Amino acid sequence: MSQVAMRELARQMVEKAQAKGANQSEAYGLDSKELSIDVSKGIVETMKLAEDRGIGIRVFQGGKMGYSFTSDLSDKALEATVDRALANARWTAEDRFRELPGKAGQYPDVRTYDPAIAGIPVEQKIELAKTIEATAKAVDPRIKIIERSSYADAEYTVTIINSQGVDVAYQGAYCGGYAYLVAEENGESQTGFSLSYGLSFDGIDPQKIGKEAAEKALRMLGAKPVSSRRAPVVFDPYVATQFLGVLAPSLTAEAVQKGKSLFAGKKGQPIASAEVTVIDDGRMEGRILSAPFDGEGVPTSRTVLIDKGTLQGYLHNTYTAAKEGAASTGNGSRGSFRGTPEVGTTNFYLQAGDRPPSELIGEIESGFYVTEVMGMHTANPISGDFSVGAAGLLIEQGQLTRPVRGVAIAGNLLDWLGGIDGVGSDLTFFIGKGAPTLRAKEMAISGA
Amino acid sequence: MIHRPAVDDLRDVLQIALRQGADFADVFIEKKSVNGIGCEDNKIERINSGTDIGAGIRVIAGESTAYAYTNDLSLEGLSHAAKVASHAARGGAASRSIDLTRRTSPVDLVIESRPDQVAIEDKVEQVMRANRHARNIDDRIKQVTVGYGDVVQQVTIANSEGDYIEDERIRTRFVVHAVAADGAVIQTGYEALGGAKGFEIFKERDPEALAQAAVDRALLMLTAKPAPSGKMPVVMSSAAGGTMVHEACGHGLEADLVQKGLSVYAGKEGQAVASPLVTVIDDGTIAGKYGTLRFDDEGTPGQKNVLIEKGILKGFMHDRFTAGKDKRPPTGNGRRESYQHKPLPRMTNTLIASGDEIPEKIIKDTKRGLFVKKMGGGQVNTTNGDFVFDVAEGYLIENGEIAAAVRGATLTGNGPEVLRRIDRVGNDLGFAIGTCGKDGQGAPVSDAQPTLRITSLIVGGTGATERDDDDGQADVPVGAGGNSANGGGGAGGELRRLSASELLNNPNGRIRRL
Repeated sequence: MSQVAMRELARQMVEKAQAKGANQSEAYGLDSKELSIDVSKGIVETMKLAEDRGIGIRVFQGGKMGYSFTSDLSDKALEATVDRALANARWTAEDRFRELPGKAGQYPDVRTYDPAIAGIPVEQKIELAKTIEATAKAVDPRIKIIERSSYADAEYTVTIINSQGVDVAYQGAYCGGYAYLVAEENGESQTGFSLSYGLSFDGIDPQKIGKEAAEKALRMLGAKPVSSRRAPVVFDPYVATQFLGVLAPSLTAEAVQKGKSLFAGKKGQPIASAEVTVIDDGRMEGRILSAPFDGEGVPTSRTVLIDKGTLQGYLHNTYTAAKEGAASTGNGSRGSFRGTPEVGTTNFYLQAGDRPPSELIGEIESGFYVTEVMGMHTANPISGDFSVGAAGLLIEQGQLTRPVRGVAIAGNLLDWLGGIDGVGSDLTFFIGKGAPTLRAKEMAISGA
Repeated sequence: MIHRPAVDDLRDVLQIALRQGADFADVFIEKKSVNGIGCEDNKIERINSGTDIGAGIRVIAGESTAYAYTNDLSLEGLSHAAKVASHAARGGAASRSIDLTRRTSPVDLVIESRPDQVAIEDKVEQVMRANRHARNIDDRIKQVTVGYGDVVQQVTIANSEGDYIEDERIRTRFVVHAVAADGAVIQTGYEALGGAKGFEIFKERDPEALAQAAVDRALLMLTAKPAPSGKMPVVMSSAAGGTMVHEACGHGLEADLVQKGLSVYAGKEGQAVASPLVTVIDDGTIAGKYGTLRFDDEGTPGQKNVLIEKGILKGFMHDRFTAGKDKRPPTGNGRRESYQHKPLPRMTNTLIASGDEIPEKIIKDTKRGLFVKKMGGGQVNTTNGDFVFDVAEGYLIENGEIAAAVRGATLTGNGPEVLRRIDRVGNDLGFAIGTCGKDGQGAPVSDAQPTLRITSLIVGGTGATERDDDDGQADVPVGAGGNSANGGGGAGGELRRLSASELLNNPNGRIRRL
């Protein structure tokens, strides 16, 4: 569907909603195309081509809000969607902070779209996925199974029109490569993965992806549990990023306002070690979650959440900002037209320090280098308690020695943040979130 | 109602899909209406309804699958998607004639009260009842989130083998989540209800009972002490739900992972993979359960499949593609989240069959260990069988008695190893519901087990370290070592218990990945 057509449909929805009695209304249209290619044993195992489009409408009547969406864009369906949103609004509670943003003076100039991706022949994309697989296999004969070597890209257009003057659209595109594989030796299997996503096709290095995934799997061969202990723990950037992912909801004003954040009431206070700085940046150059505006049409911004260990503030959308008398930070995020804008992150990361990872490891006499955690989604972002399965490498006399699996590490996120005594210089992004290597002074490790 | 394309039109679409030569093609057309209601901060915050329509067309040629989907259900739109898929999976087979015949299923789903015929205010009332009750129990309850969701999904499936299926799936669910605080300590509790049922789910348990259970759990956790860490015997109650069976063997018995060599159970059919006390069943036919289905998403009728019988591995869960590769009939486990996804072998309702022991006796016979009253979510790496799951409510067992509550425990183990260490099986059985994630696709599932004892498991907590000196069992040698993480979509899967925010923000119940 052309951008113009979606804009016209969105405009009609808002007009209809206003004519039917809404005080304010907003239509959010999404139109996307995706391609993914999975290669196995040198052949294309799955190729998926997708076209997805739809519109969601938010209506406000007094302080009441209703939502409805549809991927059926017939006149009849659009009309019914407006009616349902209005019907839904009748039963929600009145809340005077419910409102829509007005037109912004200026939107940041963010590069989100490289038209070249769509122009690259599909054969070249298949070739990229094949290169990932071939490179990984060439690393070592013990790389036996490539579960997946993939290429994926997407092209999309976001359109937001509201009754308060917002009338914006932008086009985005991204692409990436991914490998997940198995190394085998003496009947033992170990897995490794690697991924790289970016705004341009040339930015993906398939050889690096294949090589890294293979090396990760190989170094884990022979892993065994260790005995229970308390010891310093070093987290590689991927694992550190997963921890950051659990923290993210607690840094939203929504969680704070509802008493569901472990950071509530702590603004201005130290909540992490002085080495920790956490930032959300919706305008960051070259990142695939950057955009000129958020899911409500508010300009994106760079927000320092934790500055050298001190809590600076929280992420806001229009609603949470109105409730607090603050300005939206442009974090009204929505994954698709199927849901309302919540408070979410854009490019969310822990700032790099100046210490090479090898130095952080080198200072430990006896410790644990964690490269993988399992069950991170069971961590409790409200209480901060976490306990996850972990695997990685033992650190002895400052060196990575034998591989370890089948242990658990547990703690509370606040203690974890406070206990970080080393931040690496190797900030690495995994799609929308990133972190460098981190070192925790001491943690509980449960083993055999 | 869905505007169903004429059968003749679907036949033409399938012919287009096969035009470049292929072994198989199918079309999956879906119209899904969803409703979600969310209450938080003592008020109805959100009501979201939606209609999702679309069609997915799959073409299989040899080992290659092409999948294309579109929201355009016109004959033109379907033909275009079929053409795209046919080009992506070029095979050698000649095109053939297709004669579509309507299939039926022996599985019957009785919906007493269709959610699409229940007024919004009645749904809102159930939500408010739970909220009111939860907030009146104790001053330490600081936040209550209640979520209601229903789905009416109409599908049409047709394939080049001549199968034509029309089906309607209805699911309803309800979640209460409570946050309790006492000084600096914050804890949470949740309780969920749901099934392949309509509004009659509330006859099973009313909103007040669910609210009470969530609140009781949150309050209990305020006074719980940190869980111990280390190896110890574990007794799991039948009320715990079946996260363990889902992760310890369920995912590893899905045929796609088995065929790729990504499962510890690969090549072990006919062999003992569990204690003789253990029988594992995946059953898509149990009336009204959350994973129950008349037809799977490829049009195969739902079935009951015995996967492990008295410790012996009997078979795997198949979709059409993996069944064809193994030259077996599909088992009714071909599932997909929506028209946007190709089907994969997935669980439905997975359980460990009950035994004959009295649950109280199992606890009494356990000198020291952990009693798991309720499990949360979990995750597995099927390649080596390592899994973890979260304990939502747990207690210490001291001298055969249930003692102090503990919080923050995760249990970690290895599938085949843990299944061998089950030494007591109760005569009870309890179900729980969840969303299973695999390859980025969410699917509604339920899981169940009787009261079970495992001679030893690693408990990950922050409390004192336990030494498991009287673990009489010799360690089962683990062939497959393991890293434990699942690199954002690698071999394995995970189970999430329904959360209210998932229902509120995403009435599809979909797990967002990015």
